[in-house]
Amino acid sequence: MTTYATRTAETAAPIKKSESKGRLFVKIITTTDHKMIGYMYLVTTFAWFLIGGVLALILRAELARPGLQFVSAEQYNQVFTMHGTIMLLLFATPLFVGFANVIMPLQIGAADVAFPRMNMLSYWLFLFGGLMAFAGFLTPGGAASFGWTAYAPLANSQYSPGVGGDLWVIGLAMGGIGTILGGVNFITTIFTMRAPGMTMFRMSIFSWNVLLTSILVLLAFPPLAAAFLALESDRLFGSHIFDPANGGAMLWQHLFWFFGHPEVYILALPFFGIATEILPVFSRKPIFGYKGLIAATIAISALSVSVWAHHMFASGQVLLPFFSFMTFLIGVPTGVKFFNWIGTIWRGSVSFETPMLWVMGFLITFLFGGLTGIILASPPLDFAVSASYFVVAHFHYVLFGTVVFAMFAGFYFWWPKMTGRMLNERLGKIHFWTLFFGFHMTFLIQHWLGIKGMPRRYADYLATDGFTTMNTISTIGSVLLALSMIPFFINIWITRKSPLVGVDDPWGYGASLEWATSCPPPRHNFTSMPRIRSERPAFDLHYPHIKTEGH
Amino acid sequence: MKFKPIKKSMARTLLTAVSLGAISILTSCSTENISGMGFPKGVSSVNDTSLPLWQGAWIAAGVVGVFTAILILWPVFRHRRKGDEVPKQTQYNVPVEVAYTIIPFIIVAVLFYFTAVKESAITKVSADDKVSHVVDVNAMQWSWQFTYKDNPSAATVTGTTAKPPTLVLPVGEKVKFNITSTDVVHGFWIPAFMIQIQNLPGVTNHLEFSANKIGTYPGRCNILCGRAHSQMLFKVKVVSVSEYQKYITNLKAA
Repeated sequence: MTTYATRTAETAAPIKKSESKGRLFVKIITTTDHKMIGYMYLVTTFAWFLIGGVLALILRAELARPGLQFVSAEQYNQVFTMHGTIMLLLFATPLFVGFANVIMPLQIGAADVAFPRMNMLSYWLFLFGGLMAFAGFLTPGGAASFGWTAYAPLANSQYSPGVGGDLWVIGLAMGGIGTILGGVNFITTIFTMRAPGMTMFRMSIFSWNVLLTSILVLLAFPPLAAAFLALESDRLFGSHIFDPANGGAMLWQHLFWFFGHPEVYILALPFFGIATEILPVFSRKPIFGYKGLIAATIAISALSVSVWAHHMFASGQVLLPFFSFMTFLIGVPTGVKFFNWIGTIWRGSVSFETPMLWVMGFLITFLFGGLTGIILASPPLDFAVSASYFVVAHFHYVLFGTVVFAMFAGFYFWWPKMTGRMLNERLGKIHFWTLFFGFHMTFLIQHWLGIKGMPRRYADYLATDGFTTMNTISTIGSVLLALSMIPFFINIWITRKSPLVGVDDPWGYGASLEWATSCPPPRHNFTSMPRIRSERPAFDLHYPHIKTEGH
Repeated sequence: MKFKPIKKSMARTLLTAVSLGAISILTSCSTENISGMGFPKGVSSVNDTSLPLWQGAWIAAGVVGVFTAILILWPVFRHRRKGDEVPKQTQYNVPVEVAYTIIPFIIVAVLFYFTAVKESAITKVSADDKVSHVVDVNAMQWSWQFTYKDNPSAATVTGTTAKPPTLVLPVGEKVKFNITSTDVVHGFWIPAFMIQIQNLPGVTNHLEFSANKIGTYPGRCNILCGRAHSQMLFKVKVVSVSEYQKYITNLKAA
């Protein structure tokens, strides 16, 4: 097995092809190295992000003017179904697995994850499950078109015939099993493979969030996988599990959202973790209220399994006050997190390298998404705007604001750790500002569209509805958003041969353990382990004389 | 020291810009309905109940949002790195931590109180024989069927995808709706009235409200129901009570 250490030495010398393409291919398909598998996850999920983004542009192009210009109503349904499916289940969820794979073992001082071969199996289940779901586009009837929520009975074989739907159900069930295995792996790794001295309350927040996310995966994904298999049994074998005559319409909504709401936090927590890693480094301060922050994250995880029916307020079949109250409650630990983040930068020595800029973008965007979430938690207000573009805008503020902003923050932050090279700062800033304005131009106005009465998942609207101008503005914003990817690609390309950073911590004030090993780390991560006496082992190693206050 | 006043004024300008931005978000939902924050006033009994909550919740969200945004942006401008200093390594401040846990709890408790009051008012329905007007709303791929069950006999209007139907309602009078679907899940939504409920196959949902302003309002299906989902529209026409009686009589005669 070739090691990273040797590869670094080779690339530092004039480029010579040490590995044939065939050998690289064999290495990729046989690797059990958590970092390599992590990179494979990151590259694959980013590819899905781009595909999902292109689908989104098709949707926005179609909605720019009234009337159908580019796709038929049926194709439109397929495109938004696959956009939602890809972004949630093939991009954001496995993106967490990617970051967790690359970073978490480094942060807890482990040589690999607990089950490296199972880790490899997770990846291949995810890859082929995703390809299977996407392959629906190649079938005569097209891809699944019943929405990523697949409400019964629309998703059964009577209302949605065609093999595209079957590929979708089975492909996602397969990918879901990969995610479950990933969760098992991360929990075991964190509980059993921490380095000496790395107690639970010295673990960095990102690793904590990986742990809590993995627990949520184990709670949420098995019901989803079971529901998918039951749905396929209805579609293929004619069973009546989701038959409306037996209350199947509500049964599906309950099962789906029992997965669906924890899923929101499965997508959010790891990316909150990334933000929490970055803020202290560029403020030169420890995380403010570390233990309170962990308590808040545990509270969010616990509450997140008791709020699913707030997606079903308008079903008329759920106990509104209970689910409303639980949903409001979840705002409290989320607020606590905000004040932890603010406390971290408060009176710090704050500088705005690209990763920090992305975290600021996350804070501002997620703040607004959180506030509209409090509005939607109130059933009377939910009755006014549920299933409208207000909700579309809300969840893009929450999910895009968290996942995409924090993903780029993580890319810029850990790029030197992963590749040994820095990304270009100027291009990073252009990338950020283009994306920031593109995003807000696309989605802010959609709140008004929803209030004015535009339902989600509409292929078309009437010229007399008064939606045209707002839709056109949103579409222009989405083009700007898409263009923001160009500086990122240029950035990757021009920095591919830039000088190696050559130090453990190129940012200077890293706190967690990954900044105490080389960039990129050797095959088994550490050649020597620093003493771990606080939640900031790398900081203690580099600045032994600086005292922590406020205990 | 010389630069300090300039920086202060910069910060002040920024704060003003943030507050103005937030105020414009709060108020500019639509120029014709600034105080309704996007919704028309007095069009339905639900609207009368929910609109004050909508306004109050936005004011609360606006205050919290502006306050938090200022706290985020303050260090961005005021605690910028100047030299190569390492700041005080503060990790905990228990009174502050207790405060920022309790205050949000109080805010959401207040919001929940008003939510619970409004919500039980909106979801209250009477038995069919206790209200003077009952309408069955049946959804199907991809249109609506309205059955007016005013005594003595019923009259039905069935729309088609190409020709969406009109739901005629008497102004100011309570109407009870029995809502269901014959095939997949649909959503019965009248945006201006601030009300919606799902049409579930195998389940009958109930709503009761009055339309309070004469006029025509769009209604739309808002739960994905297949290919022609975006054409599953209807109109709500609110007319005077005498006109409504005439409409029902004609409908039954036809």
